[in-house]
Order: sequence, then structure tokens, then C-alpha cells
Amino acid sequence: MQRGFKRNFEPLKVLTNSQVEQIHAASLNVLEEVGFKYESAKALKLLEDHGCEIDYDRMIAKIPPSLVEWAILQTPSSFYLKARDPEKSVRFGGNSVYFFNSAGARYVDIDTGIVSTPTLEQNNLGVLVSDALDSVHAFPSYTPYFEIEGVQPVMSCAVSCAQRHRFSSKPSRGAQPTYTYIWETMIAQACNAQIMGCVEGAAPLSLAEDPCNAAFHYLEAGFPIYIASGSVMGGSHPITIAGASVSHNAELLAIIVLLQCIKQGAGVIANNFVSAMNMSTGDLNFGTAATSLHQMAFNQIWHSYYKIPITNTGSAFSNAKIIDYQLGAEKLPLAMCSALSGANLIVLHGGVTAELAYNPILAIIDDDVANTIGRIVEGINVNDDTIGLDTIKEVGSTGTFLSTKQTRTYWKTEDYMPKVFDKTTYKEWIDSGKKTVIDKAKQRYEEIIATHKPKPLTEEQDKEIDKILKEAEEFYKKKGLI
Amino acid sequence: MLRRQKLLDKEVLDSLRSIVINFDIDNAEEKAKEAIQKGVDPLEAAKVLTDAIREVGDKFGKGELFLPDLVCAAEVLKKAIPIITDEMQKQGKTSQSIGKVVIGTVYGDIHSIGKGMVATLLYASGFEVIDLGVNVKAEEFLNAVKEHKPNILALSALLTTTAMEQKNVIEGLKKENLRNKVKVLVGGSPITQEFADSIGADGYGATAPDGVKVAKRLLGIE
Repeated sequence: MQRGFKRNFEPLKVLTNSQVEQIHAASLNVLEEVGFKYESAKALKLLEDHGCEIDYDRMIAKIPPSLVEWAILQTPSSFYLKARDPEKSVRFGGNSVYFFNSAGARYVDIDTGIVSTPTLEQNNLGVLVSDALDSVHAFPSYTPYFEIEGVQPVMSCAVSCAQRHRFSSKPSRGAQPTYTYIWETMIAQACNAQIMGCVEGAAPLSLAEDPCNAAFHYLEAGFPIYIASGSVMGGSHPITIAGASVSHNAELLAIIVLLQCIKQGAGVIANNFVSAMNMSTGDLNFGTAATSLHQMAFNQIWHSYYKIPITNTGSAFSNAKIIDYQLGAEKLPLAMCSALSGANLIVLHGGVTAELAYNPILAIIDDDVANTIGRIVEGINVNDDTIGLDTIKEVGSTGTFLSTKQTRTYWKTEDYMPKVFDKTTYKEWIDSGKKTVIDKAKQRYEEIIATHKPKPLTEEQDKEIDKILKEAEEFYKKKGLI
Repeated sequence: MLRRQKLLDKEVLDSLRSIVINFDIDNAEEKAKEAIQKGVDPLEAAKVLTDAIREVGDKFGKGELFLPDLVCAAEVLKKAIPIITDEMQKQGKTSQSIGKVVIGTVYGDIHSIGKGMVATLLYASGFEVIDLGVNVKAEEFLNAVKEHKPNILALSALLTTTAMEQKNVIEGLKKENLRNKVKVLVGGSPITQEFADSIGADGYGATAPDGVKVAKRLLGIE
């Protein structure tokens, strides 16, 4: 199993206990008085059986607070996700901190910032690189690219899932639109793996038919579920962080209620992807203080109060178009705050140009970022050996610690040594032709694609995936979607 | 007497302009009713309101105003304009628009912000806009084209997975022999010029102000 990182100190809190309770109480009030829209008769009937008041015409369920509290209690504080390679499985929850690969609609040229639709080969190389990076622990759906040249849009999730299983043995998350959950479930099962199901709400306060169907399907397969309700403050959620926290909380709790009614004890990880809005364009404003504060409040409520595993997407993207200072300044503070405030899974590697683009070179740079964050959350090991009182006395006021046994023992674990950040002296930097972090990442990229061999699928598994993709294609053709 | 009426009219029209540029949603209906009661020409009232939202739209385009300003100004018009147009109908008067647009977010997609911005800016530029809302099925777009006979059909999609729905609408127009009767303008985050060309759209707007420019170009308006 992949260990990830362990946060060895209390998570950072941005709310008082009474503020947490106030947000929770308001969330319950919204679900009880306004209700939540589930666009599925099957889901509504199930919720009615569990005591919800249903308006079938409007597809609204008013959820009693007791049912919400019950659902929170049924949701485990951690769950295991089985990868096709058991060594790559993960356990989300508790004090663990893992990193998710990020994604982009298209491939971005690192030097020019120009985006284009990636080829299947570029997609596969992107997966292979992340398979090689030890700080990428799992993949979301349609990762690394939303679109692949020559692949029909309706097939993109299924093809992306297939290629992730072919070029990586790390676990994946599924998707929900247009029956794609059928094929993603089949692909994972063909590889003797689990996939993390996906049930994403549509703010404000609704869950479309596809995610409702996906919930039943993924849970029937015995898979844990990733839930989300992405939104933008001032648009689909209130502009205030407190108000947006209530709306978002209510939405995720409504999804948790449905999941626990379908399968009591189902493993769930709740995502936060609530962004600030660019008030000039209506686009998402990444890397802002409000986005980070919303995530931290969410982490505190869900980690410490509900004790349900959590993931944060806020640091996945930047509005920067190229790898520059803005990109680092927008992504790193959010990722750091996520890790410090209790996130179990942080989406980070490779995303640039808002959600528009991805590049594996950036994923390689983000590998150093993730490992640095991971080292920070591991905290400080305090014992007789690490204090080393004898060593301090021995060196006294005249010696050096460089040659001590303590240094030899601990220098590699006390700090993280970045692989591509420039740590040369000024002269070395001049002599090297002024190599930048991007140059060094490109070099590491070449090394990875020349040497890294992902654990292969068996021939039968590979053939089975081909069969599933053909079946999916026929299915969509019959539906007139291809 | 005439001079006094003119002064009164100016005062009322200034007050109408003021509710738009100050985003005064709460007083929009009241001020519109007041204008009618005081005998202001409804055509003049409508012109003041549309000039004011155009001013807001221009300032938005220049980055001097922001999205909440634009949306609130549009809300003012939503409340005030029906009162003014009712009076125009009573007096048998009609106002001129530079073109008619049917707009909506395609089926499967509930994103409304971008579509709303384009609708507001089109209106501010003098277009008559029929907004079908979000999650609009292809057949609803086709019915709206038949009913309203717009110059432009504007389709928004924010998701990669719903972008192809724009193509479905265009294919539907072809099947119903409506394709040559309306220009199709597409936009949304996953949409590119290449995609717009590939599905047979007439125009693509990368941003809301860009969408308005393309709409005007499609109708041969400078």
C-alpha cells in the first residue's frame, strides 16, 4: 500500500467550535426547510422510505436533521481503495495526506503557453510520467486530459480510464456523465481493482439524474465514492465564505444521505471545489484567499466534526498560462493550507491555464512541491536521538555537526531534497547555461519516458479492456451519441 | 406649460437612468410606474433605460464595472421594461431593435453565468433577446426558432461533455430546414474556433463582449 504522508500534528483551525456548529445547524436547516433536488425517481423513493418528505413533481426531498446525523455517523472515517497493483492501493482518511494528479482539457506547450488537443500518445505519456512520480498517489477521472484527439467526446472518460489502467498501476477515480460509470466500473473490475466512484452535485442544491444513477451503480459494485458539488461563490453559492460553506455543506450532506441510504457504511471522500469568481469575466478565480479560507473551513468541519475523509481541488489550477511566478504563487499557498488544515487528498500535479491545460513537465515540478508539503506535515520527530544532547555537548562551541553520526543518520529524512529545483551556486548556474527549473524538469521527463516501465496488464486484461471499449462504442452508437 | 412638462419629463427620465446606473433593483418597478403615471413618452423611457444599460455594458467592457454591477443593472431592466412596453402597446407604439437573438445553455448543462452575461450585453447593444435559460433541449431551441424567428441563435456550453449538444441543435436546424433562416453563434469554456467550425456554427465568441461583436458582424452591423 502507498503510505502517502502522515500529518503528525493537530490540523490548523480557522473556525471556533461554535462557528462550526452554527454552519452545521444552518446546513441542516436548509435541507429540512428548502430540501434538495434529486433528479431520480428511484432515489426519491428510497429517501421517502427513510423518512424524507418528497415533492415528486419538483423532485425535491426535504431531509429531516436526524437522517442527516444518522448518515454522517454511518460514513467511515477512512476507507481502503484497492489498486490493480496492491502496492499502489491507498487508505484515505484519518491523518493521511495523499496527492491526486490534476487534469486539463488540453495539452499546453511549455514554452509558448499555446494549448492544443492532445494525441493519444501525449495522453499516455502524461499518465506514464505520473505513474513514475512517487508523490502522485491516484488519478481523478478524465486525467490527465479531458479531450483526446480522435476520441469521440462521449467516449473520452472510458478511453481515459482505459489508458490510465494501461499506463499506471495506481488507483483511479471514475466519472458520472452519460453512462460512463458502466464502462469505468467494468475496466476496473477487469483489472482486479476498485475505482473510486463519482457522485457530483450541481450547485445550488441539486443532483442530476446521471450522478444519481452513478451512485447506485458504483455502490452496487462495492466501490467507495468521491462526492463533490463544485461551485463559484457569488454565482451558484453565496458570495460570503460562511454562506457558501452552508450551501456547500448542505449539498454534500444531501449526497451522503443518499449514499448511506443506498448502502449503509459506504466509504466516502468529500471534495471541496468551491472557487471565487472573477467579477470581470465570470470565470473561476483560482488561488485566491477566499478559495483557500473556504477550503480550510470545510476541512475543519469535515475532518474534525464529521470525521469523514476529505479532498481539496483548489490548488489544482492557476489562472497563469505558463509556468511562472504567478502559477507557483496561486497553487502553493492553497495546497499548503489544505495540507495543514486536514485534507486527506490534495489535487495538485500538472494543471495550468485554469482548467484548460495540463503538462507533465509541470507535474514533475509539482512532484517537488508535493514532497515538500508532505515533509512539512510529517512534522518534527522529538526524542532523545533527534534532540541528540550528547552530540551537542560533544561538538560544543568549536566543532561542526557535519561529521556526526546524527547528521549521517538523519540528513536525508529531516528535510526533502528537491529533484528539479535549482540549488546550484551562482557560478554553476552560469556554467550550466542558466538552466531553469523547467529545463531540469524537461530533463527528468526525458529520463522518465526512457526508463520508466509501468507494471503491465496481463494480455487477457488488455484484451478485455478493448472489448469493453468496443461495447461502449456500440452502446453510444445505438443511442445516437456517436 | 410645455416647458414645465419638459422639465418634469427630464426629471423623471433622469430618475429612470439613475435606477439603472445605480443598480437600484428595489425601486425599478416603482420608478417605471411613476414615469408612466407622469405621462412620459414610453418610447423615450425605453430609450433612456437601454442607453443606461449600454453605458453600464460599455463600462463593464472597459473593466470599470464588474459582473455584479452588470447583472444588477439587467435585473433593473427586467423589472422596469415590462411596465414600459405595456404602455407602448396601449399607445400602439413599437421600439426598434437591431436584431433578435434566442439564447440558452444547451441540454445537460446548467451553467448560466456566461450565457447571462452575453444575453445582457446583447440587450445592452440593442438586440431583442429571448433567453430560454439553462439545460435547454434541442427541440426547445428549434421550437423557439420557429416561434420567434430570430436573426441569431446563441448556444452556450460550459462542459466538454455538453459541447456536442451544440452540434445536435445545428443538426436539428438542418433537419427542420431552418438552418439557412438563422445564424448560429456558439460559446463557452470548452469551445474553440476550430470546434465551432467543425460543427458548422456561423460564429464563435471567446468572451461575452466578443460574442456581441461577432453577433453584430453576423448581421452586418458595425
